[in-house]
This record gives sequence, structure tokens and C-alpha cells, in this order.
Amino acid sequence: MNFYDYLSFVYGALSTVGVSFVAIIVGIPLGLGLALLRWARIPVFGKCAYLYVSIVRSCPAVTLIMLIYFGLPQFGISLNPFVAALISFSITATAFNCEIWRSSLLAFDRSQYEAAQAFGMTRWVRFRHVLLPQIWRSSIPGLINEMTLLVKNSPAISVIGLLDITRAAQRIGARTYEPIPPLLLGFAIYIIIVMLLIELQKRLETRIRSAGI
Amino acid sequence: MNAIANPKPATTDTVLRVQGISKSFGDNHVLKDISFDMQKGEVVSLLGPSGCGKSTLLRCINWLEEPDAGHIRLNSERMGYAGSGAKMNDTQLSQMRSRIGMVFQHFALWPHMTVLENVMASPVHVQKRDRKEVENEARAVLKRVGLEDKMDMLPSRLSGGQKQRVGIARALAMKPEILLFDEPTSALDPMLVGEVLEVMRDLAADGATMVIVTHEMKFARQVSSRIIFMDSGHIIENRSPEDFFDHPQTDKAKTFLHSVQYK
Ligand SMILES: Nc1ncnc2c1ncn2[C@@H]1O[C@H](COP(=O)(O)OP(=O)(O)O)[C@@H](O)[C@H]1O
Ligand SMILES: [Mg+2]
Repeated sequence: MNFYDYLSFVYGALSTVGVSFVAIIVGIPLGLGLALLRWARIPVFGKCAYLYVSIVRSCPAVTLIMLIYFGLPQFGISLNPFVAALISFSITATAFNCEIWRSSLLAFDRSQYEAAQAFGMTRWVRFRHVLLPQIWRSSIPGLINEMTLLVKNSPAISVIGLLDITRAAQRIGARTYEPIPPLLLGFAIYIIIVMLLIELQKRLETRIRSAGI
Repeated sequence: MNAIANPKPATTDTVLRVQGISKSFGDNHVLKDISFDMQKGEVVSLLGPSGCGKSTLLRCINWLEEPDAGHIRLNSERMGYAGSGAKMNDTQLSQMRSRIGMVFQHFALWPHMTVLENVMASPVHVQKRDRKEVENEARAVLKRVGLEDKMDMLPSRLSGGQKQRVGIARALAMKPEILLFDEPTSALDPMLVGEVLEVMRDLAADGATMVIVTHEMKFARQVSSRIIFMDSGHIIENRSPEDFFDHPQTDKAKTFLHSVQYK
């Protein structure tokens, strides 16, 4: 492998991490929002959240990204492939994160939420100081797990011509007739990314344990 | 029924005035035209068979349930409605609720906060009082309920009796004008009931205004200035503890006292 091969790995790693990172940043709060709509049993919106999650969950990453990239221009919205990838991964992350938040919300004991109301806490204070700290704590493992899945689904972006880690490895292997070394290098990069996420999980969990009100 | 419905006009000492409260869930009429007053320093035990509407009444007082009809006044301020007659918004309701302390059967402590944080949460986040000052007071309140050595523990590490004492300390820390207790000892092992009743006795002696839903008849008799007895959504007796326990006037009250084996 030459210098340019390593460069294409760096490029591939950046798009993998970039797409996943944006999807995480978008998906965590939006997923929480959807989960809260269902939890609060808000009539029409709760149902819409349910439909959204059911539909998105059943769509493979490759299919969704092609639908967005080739579909949206039909409605006059032209996209560059990277933006299409960001949108598609954010849509998926939102749906899966919604389910993670929702299972934490189901396990949350409503009586202490009502106690917070009786003690004069406004809706926002109840959310910020009673609900969120507890569901955040119980959601972290699931959210981090979902992040690792995002990273591992990222090769899907190559179907619309983007270069990710696996695609970089494949291209180099095809040129050098030695597919294994670049694939192993790609694998190593995935391992590093996932290890970093697991480290993040550990840090978040320790921080929570030592956090105050 | 009229004989026991707010017989006198409210005075400056009237902390709580409940007037004609009705509440239904679907076609289940749980509260039917409930009226009574509480003077400052009074301790009222609210008795009645299970399902007669005691919890619902407490929840109407602090507007966790909105009554279908009637008024609640806390020190002459109407609960649920602002001066203009419009319904209170979230912030206004919160301010009103923070003046009423509530203690729950199943404690309902916030499990992610330490004992001290549980007690400090409302004064800090609702009443927006100075944190340092609140902390000193919270420590004093916890000392008063005998938990000075448990302040930094999470509630899950405490016994039921200790949890409920935290529940009481949490209510006291808001310096409420009235305290509502909904079966504070019903979820406790018999062994642990005494320590909680002791704290409540102490509060009563100290002049706190309290409404207590309880099945501890001996305690109710000793500590109450008045007994309100409810049956299927009505107040049917509202008298001194001696009168109520020694000479219940209604058959329902007699049956009830018999069923709780009060002799
Ligand atoms: N949120 C609610 N929705 C429907 N019915 C309720 C609700 N809360 C209480 N009830 C009903 O109101 C009646 C009185 O309940 P409650 O006030 O809890 O009685 P008590 O505390 O005296 O045992 C019961 O029949 C109960 O099923
Ligand atoms: Mg009850």
C-alpha cells in the first residue's frame, strides 16, 4: 500500500465517523422527543411517532440511503451524496434511539414524577431534574450500542459513491490483488472507533455516579 | 349534610377551605359535594373505607386532580384559578403547590438523588432559594427526623421507615402552610410504623396544620383535633376524636370502626 492508499483510509474513516457522529447528535434528542410524545400519550403525535419508528425500523440502511439520494431530487430537492447520507443515517438513528429512550421511560416509575408535580416542580424542572437524569442513566448502554451499530452500517454510504473505510479497503485490494491487508487495516480502524465509544460509555457512567442534583 | 358544610365564615386563621368539591372519573362519582375548613394548627384525620375517595380528595386539594366543581382556598387564595378567573398556568400552579407539603404511601422519593438532595430539590428548584441556606435548613430538618447520618445515601439503601422520614423531611423543607399525608405508614413493616408516627406526633405538637389519611386509629385519636369520616364520596361525620370514636353517630362509621377493630 502506498501513501495515497493510507490517505484514502483517512478519508474513509473521516466519512464513517462524520456520518455516524452527525446521526448521533441528531438522533439522540429527536429520538427522545419522539419517545416523550409516546410516553405522554399525546393523542395524534404519539401515534405518528409510533408509525415513524415502525416504518424506519423495517428499512435497510442501503435501501433508505438510495431512496433519499435518488428519491428527493424527484421532488426538486437535489442533494450531494454526503448530505443524503447524513439525512438517511439521522432518520435511522432517531427511530432506534426513540425505542431506547422509550424502554427507559417504560421502566420509569411515574409516581415519583407525580411527587415532583406535587412539590411544585414545573414541567421543565420535572423533566430536567427528575426524569432526564434517570432515563439518561438507563439509556446510555443502549444509546452507545446503537452508535456502534451506526458505525458498522456506515459501509452503506458507498452505494451512492461515497468513500467509507470498507470501500477504501476494497478499492486498494482490487488494485494490489492483496485484499486481506487493507481489510485488516479497515477492521482495525473499526475496532478503534468502537473502543473509543465504549470508553465514552464508561466515562459517562462514572460521571453520572458522581453527579449531584 | 348541610350541617357540616362550612358552618362558619372563613377567618384569618383558616388555612384551608374546601367548598363543594365534586369529582368523577367517567361515571364513577368519587367525591360528592365535599366541604370542610381547617384552622391553623389543626390536625384532621381523614378516615373511611378503602375506595371512598380519600386519596382523590387530597389530590384535589393540591390540584393533581382537577375537581369538576367546587373551590379550594389556601389561606384565602383560590387554587387552580388566577385572580382574573382564568385557569392557572403551569408556573402559577407550581407556586401554589409548593405551599402544600405532601407525603405519599409509597414514599415516591427521587431515587437518583441522595437523601439530602431529595430534601433540597424543591426549595432550590421551585422556591429558588439560596442553595447554601437551603442546605443548612435541610440538614437541620433531617436531624429533626433522626436521619443526620443518612444524608449522603441514596434512598434505596434506607429502610421503609427511614424512607418515609425522608419523605416528611422533604415536605417540611418547603415550609408548607399545610401538610397532606396519604397513608404514610400503610406500606411499612409494623415494626417501623412507630418511628414515623413519632415524627408526625412531634409535628402536630409543634403546631403544624395537617390532614392525615391513616388506618392507625389509636394514633388518629391521640393526635387529631378533628376526625372527618368519609363514605362513598360524602363526609358523613366531622367531629372531635372523642365523639367520633366513643359515640359514632352513623351506622357506616360504626361498621368501619368495627372493621378496623377499634374498641
Ligand atoms: N385516576 C383515576 N382514574 C379513574 N378512577 C380513579 C382514579 N383515581 C381514583 N379512582 C377511583 O376513585 C375511587 C376512590 O379512590 P381513592 O380516592 O383512591 O380512594 P381511597 O384513597 O379512599 O381508598 C376508586 O373507585 C378509584 O378506583
Ligand atoms: Mg388512598
